[in-house]
Amino acid sequence: MDTQLLISGVIFGLSIGSIFFLMAIGLSLCFGLMRIISLDQLLYYSVGAYITYSVSLATGSVWLGVLGGLVVSGVAAFAVERLIFRRIYERELTFSMITSFGILIGGIGIIKFFWGVVPRPVPVPIEIQTAILGTDVPVYRLVVVGIAVLVYVGIWLFLNRTITGKAIRAGIEDVEHVEGLGINVSRLFTITFIIAGSLSGLAGGLHAPLIMVDPTMGLEVLAFAFMVVIIGGLGSIKGTLISAFIVGQVVSIGSLIYAPLAQMAPFAVMLLILLVKPTGLYGSALLKR
Amino acid sequence: MNATFEGIVKAFRWWRGLLLAFALLAVSRIFLPLPFVIEVVIFSIYTMGCSFLLGRVGFISSGQPAYLAVGAYATAFYLFYFGTNPYVGILLGVLAGLAVSFVVGPLFVRLRSDYFALVNLALAVIVFYLMQKVLADITHGDNGLWFLTNLASTPVLDLTRPKDFFIFAFLAALAVWAFYKYLDDSVYGACCLATKINEDKVTFLGYSNFSIRLLAFVIANTTTALAGALYAVYLGFVSPEMSSPSRAADPVIVTILGGAGTLYGPIVGAFAYTGMKDVISKLVGNWELFIGFLLVLIMLAGEKGIWGTLQPRLEKLLVRRHATTPTADRPADT
Repeated sequence: MDTQLLISGVIFGLSIGSIFFLMAIGLSLCFGLMRIISLDQLLYYSVGAYITYSVSLATGSVWLGVLGGLVVSGVAAFAVERLIFRRIYERELTFSMITSFGILIGGIGIIKFFWGVVPRPVPVPIEIQTAILGTDVPVYRLVVVGIAVLVYVGIWLFLNRTITGKAIRAGIEDVEHVEGLGINVSRLFTITFIIAGSLSGLAGGLHAPLIMVDPTMGLEVLAFAFMVVIIGGLGSIKGTLISAFIVGQVVSIGSLIYAPLAQMAPFAVMLLILLVKPTGLYGSALLKR
Repeated sequence: MNATFEGIVKAFRWWRGLLLAFALLAVSRIFLPLPFVIEVVIFSIYTMGCSFLLGRVGFISSGQPAYLAVGAYATAFYLFYFGTNPYVGILLGVLAGLAVSFVVGPLFVRLRSDYFALVNLALAVIVFYLMQKVLADITHGDNGLWFLTNLASTPVLDLTRPKDFFIFAFLAALAVWAFYKYLDDSVYGACCLATKINEDKVTFLGYSNFSIRLLAFVIANTTTALAGALYAVYLGFVSPEMSSPSRAADPVIVTILGGAGTLYGPIVGAFAYTGMKDVISKLVGNWELFIGFLLVLIMLAGEKGIWGTLQPRLEKLLVRRHATTPTADRPADT
């Protein structure tokens, strides 16, 4: 294969993997701490993208839009957590999956109401290209990768260096003990949910310039987001990062080899990994509560 | 003489709920347009498998479209390339569903229920792209296979005529429901419920969780394949769209709407869902909003669904009416 094609393929895979990572980290955190499958993260992803579109149209700055998307998604996540998830934490896992799917579908209805069904374009904020080993690569994609790495480092520092983060990590292990120590678990849940929602919104905002923004964009990436979480192991941040980059590369390199494979190959990879290790790469075996 | 009479009474009691439900369905045929009722019948068969897996075995199956597509495409391949008899086509569709679920079943049922849901979804996506792109030479990709004119008229029930097709689909549904009612009453049905609630105890009692689940998986997905085969013959056309990931949630929504694991939930759910889709999409063209919030409301209200909420009330009503007769101690049909 052509080296230039390969390099641009790898960069493409890295950037798409970064977006998957930002999206899946919310799913993973929610599962780890609250034991819910929060499909509505995909809604915050769409909301982030739409806010980016609207703000960039109004002010001309995509970065401002991405910031706005992050904030609005966080607020939306906060509202949903307070109104709906609060009532269902005690229920079974599948229960939250179905409820959050209802939120996702309903949210798509709201998006259609406000923005219509026509796909919207978002301009790319950085149009210059840079040369890597003689191949022209769009700088924006590299910036996306950089942001994802920064977020990973930030999340790592937050979980390992702050009291709240340590409480969250302890909660992932055993939430009852954390509650016994006098930590307000309910507030912990809210904080985690807001972080998850805003990161999904960030993913949507960053993804918006690379694709067309349309109401069902959440459903289109739903399967990929899940795949990333599953391959990495539900509840593991490190696993999510690694599997996001694996999936990104499989999508990107797969499409270079044989285009129809691009959509299918990741699923085949996931099936294989699950058959070998049913809990994903870094998933823990203890998951009952 | 007395024994046979009692046998008849027993059989009547067993069948009366089923017959009543299907009589209501048959009556609705008079008031509602034919395509709507056919859609409801096929959709409820489609949902039955999902409802069984979710309510009785505890597997949330978001990959039902995969098996629907398998059934539909097996039927379509036969009718498009080889033969003309729709009955043979439907039979082949069901057999294909059986074969596929036997192959993937052992791999899938070992997984925990949350992973199961996602892996099943992955299978639906794989089938979708298989039909749309990889096998495009045989399946004609997004254009789909059109074979309405290939269908031959058959004696007695002519499946090419919608009226006769309705009768066939109706009878097929009645057979499916009788089978599931039989399953519910059998030891196997109890075993299914037991694996959902406590798999360790099932092992202690000497049953194998794996084979119980595998059998449930095969039964449910063969039912779904039957629905796919019926769709194929009814529409005279199949396209990859039916297994697209964005439609994967339909059967789950209908299951929840009707009440998961109940016998008549799928019919009630399919009725409500198809009706709402028709009415609301005509009125506002934004029916996701309603479906989504309805789903959230139902879940918050206690995930029983329409039938699950109605059923205890109906039972109460029936028991009160029969309070003077000795049959009162027998609980009404579930």
